[in-house]
Amino acid sequence: MPSHRSWAEPWKVKMVEHLRMTTREERERVIAEAGFNTFLLPSQFVYIDLLTDSGTSAMSDRQWAGMMQGDEAYAGSMNYYHLEKAVHTYYGYKHLIPTHQGRGAEHILSQLCIKAGQVVPGNMYFTTTKVHQELAGGRFADVIVDEAHDPASEFPFKGNVDLAKLERLIRERGATNIAYLSLETNVNMAGGQPCSMENIQATCALCHQHGIPVYLDATRAVENAYFIREREQGYENKSLAEILREICDQTDGCTMSAKKDALVNIGGFLAVNDDALAEKARNMVVIYEGLHTYGGLAGRDMEAMAIGIQESVQLDHMHARIGQVEYLGHKLIDAGIPIVHPIGGHGIFLDAAKFLPHIPREEFPSQALAAALYVDSGVRAMERGAVSAGRDHDTGKNIFPALELVRLTIPRRVYTQAHMDVTAESVIALYQHRDKIVGLNFTHEPEYLRFFQARFAPVRGGRVLLD
Amino acid sequence: MKTIIEPFRIKSVEPIRMTTREEREDILRHADFNLFRIHADDVLIDLLTDSGTGAMSSLQWAGIMKGDESYAGAKSWYALEESVRELTGFTQILPTHQGRASERILFELVGGPGLVVPNNSHFDTTRANIEHSGATAVDLLIAEGHDPRSRHPFKGNLDVAALERLIAERGRDAIPLVMITVTNNSGGGQPVSLENIRAVRAVCDRHGLPLFLDACRFAENAWFVKQREPGHAARPVREIVREMFDLCDGATISAKKDGLVNIGGLLLLRDPELVRRADELLILTEGFLTYGGLAGRDLEAMAQGFREVVDEDYLHYRIRSTEYLGERLLRAGIQIVEPPGGHAIYVDALAFAPHIPREQFPGQALVVALYRHAGIRACEIGSVMFGKGGKTPAMELVRLAIPRRVYTQSHIDYVIEAAEEVYANRASLRGLAIVEEPPSLRHFTARFREV
Repeated sequence: MPSHRSWAEPWKVKMVEHLRMTTREERERVIAEAGFNTFLLPSQFVYIDLLTDSGTSAMSDRQWAGMMQGDEAYAGSMNYYHLEKAVHTYYGYKHLIPTHQGRGAEHILSQLCIKAGQVVPGNMYFTTTKVHQELAGGRFADVIVDEAHDPASEFPFKGNVDLAKLERLIRERGATNIAYLSLETNVNMAGGQPCSMENIQATCALCHQHGIPVYLDATRAVENAYFIREREQGYENKSLAEILREICDQTDGCTMSAKKDALVNIGGFLAVNDDALAEKARNMVVIYEGLHTYGGLAGRDMEAMAIGIQESVQLDHMHARIGQVEYLGHKLIDAGIPIVHPIGGHGIFLDAAKFLPHIPREEFPSQALAAALYVDSGVRAMERGAVSAGRDHDTGKNIFPALELVRLTIPRRVYTQAHMDVTAESVIALYQHRDKIVGLNFTHEPEYLRFFQARFAPVRGGRVLLD
Repeated sequence: MKTIIEPFRIKSVEPIRMTTREEREDILRHADFNLFRIHADDVLIDLLTDSGTGAMSSLQWAGIMKGDESYAGAKSWYALEESVRELTGFTQILPTHQGRASERILFELVGGPGLVVPNNSHFDTTRANIEHSGATAVDLLIAEGHDPRSRHPFKGNLDVAALERLIAERGRDAIPLVMITVTNNSGGGQPVSLENIRAVRAVCDRHGLPLFLDACRFAENAWFVKQREPGHAARPVREIVREMFDLCDGATISAKKDGLVNIGGLLLLRDPELVRRADELLILTEGFLTYGGLAGRDLEAMAQGFREVVDEDYLHYRIRSTEYLGERLLRAGIQIVEPPGGHAIYVDALAFAPHIPREQFPGQALVVALYRHAGIRACEIGSVMFGKGGKTPAMELVRLAIPRRVYTQSHIDYVIEAAEEVYANRASLRGLAIVEEPPSLRHFTARFREV
């Protein structure tokens, strides 16, 4: 039913933030100063910022009103109880431990639940999640379906766990050597691809049969719920809130970066059902984050999160959210641009390997494409390929993942249709002149999470995009 | 003119919910006599902490609206960087979600088993982070700092001779850095003199040791230096602050105190190798280098807060209002840590309730009594907070911390009246026993019963 309706936003604009226009000369200079890494660009030189959908959304007037009602008491803030109620209602878990953002929750979960030498299977890695698992002594094992690694496959649930892979892993390593299964909804690195409810049920059943807990990365679980409603039989008449609860109810807990689905600029949480684990997590959150009734957040931010959670499960909101992403995606598909299919939930993922076949993987085509896009139009995108994947923990060699992508991530409720048009025009223009884009080499490579701070130089000349 | 007025007027208010004594009796039992466990909504006057509980100015709120929420390179970050650089002279500035994150990153890098970290007095989260790394936290406060009645003007000073002895005993290689906490929170909010910081600096230089400040209340400390230390009366506070930072190699700051914000912290460093490693940990556990786990708006509010806090009219009002509470309690016969500190008044619970043995937590008993009688929430700084593993801290204190720019004189008069009444009935105070406690930082979550 919703697919027949326009995706027009169910809100109007209440406050605006000015953007600064730049010239191409300026952008050429700025990207060179930033070492051809879009992470290192000052935002004042960015026109349309599609670096991430994390914490970059526009809050509603209700959330801003909640900000004014922040109870900044150190202990027992009213806002904590509001948040606890929202998490309990919509995610259903018994215990809430707020954290300053998602990685705070991942840090605590990894430290508490992984023993040295244990394996942590998951449906594709995520950058910070994987490093936290490794620092806790664990090793990540990918159990996502093969379709996830094929950008052209139209499989509707490319986030699914491959049950055969998971079973094999359990058999080979033994259930006691598996810390937990990390189940990500709307898998980010696969292109914002959902898991089906059927797969979530089967995965959780298999794990629980072997006594392995399942922890959800619930960061984009509501977007996942929307795709289940659109694509999976039997869910077309259910509300997003019902589907979200059904996902959560099968798992043992979740880590959450509220900076995505929950429409806030800062905040996250760990939520679990187990009483003893919750107690341990509360003792740990005090050391790393803050007392367990604020977790390193201002009271106002917990209030904004509580309201944001309620707004995130509204069907009209999600219809507009995904509708905008699809609008940009279809424009690019119509122009013959290679992107990850089907169109994902939080962004469009350009297939850089196919976009720039003349640039070898060793010269980081995704990094080059993101830099060239900035030079062309001031649009800031993010590399999600070999630079993000880092080096193999044991061999020290570059990992070249099957997907070499550039992510155009759409912040929620921030940009208009015209901003999407400008973005599409720039990508299409670059595609027509793709031979002008030059590969990159590292000039500085950090040890952990290198994509954030790495610096590069074009392999020849000084420019990433020739005239 | 004798009267000191607040150099501001009120722009936005937050209603306080009144409670009855019967309600509070229930609430206390429900919270197992731990005031950290009660709903803030059930508190009339919240003196639990001055951390993150201040009122922001209209300019800070304007900054909140201006927050640039870009993930990388936000304008708000550059605004903060400029404000902190102007104030401290540091160029390597790492934003963190709050002070304990700065401490965790620092001690994860420089801490470790077998090492010793001296300080005038470590605060609870600092100590927890040092011990979490396997190192030992050592307090080297001057003797006057342990005597509630001593009127020494700088009771936060570090005992320089004791530092020399520690270095001689343990060897310089066992000491990754020397720390000074300004003002000295666990010792009564007492200041450290510039002369003392210079002397510690000289010892550090002789042994090649780095000096770090726990600089949460740097502006309040600088105000005391201006008021009490010979030769500084004519200097602007900003200049004194700058000298304090110039004397050290790094600092951890919880901006929730003198940054005048509800959330935020900083780690300041000079050593480029330490910066490189700290950057990686920051990204992993806090957030990217240009936001450190904070919303852009919080960076903006901090930038403005660090400008407002060195305003001398503000500091005059701030320190004088704390002193007012202290003087009135003394006049009522209640022993406090003298002279009154910067951000809080510390009541000597041993003098207040001498009939309660230390193993029954007289400080906690007083905290419970203040809440029961008047809905005031204070904080125990004694055997509950620091007494784990059979250790007995030198003092048994109850801290009445004053949030910045939040309460008026009539609120403070109410607190004075309540304290006087509880003091009059002090014989009825009852000791407490711990029913359940976590392995570290037990004061936050422990459960008690009345004996």
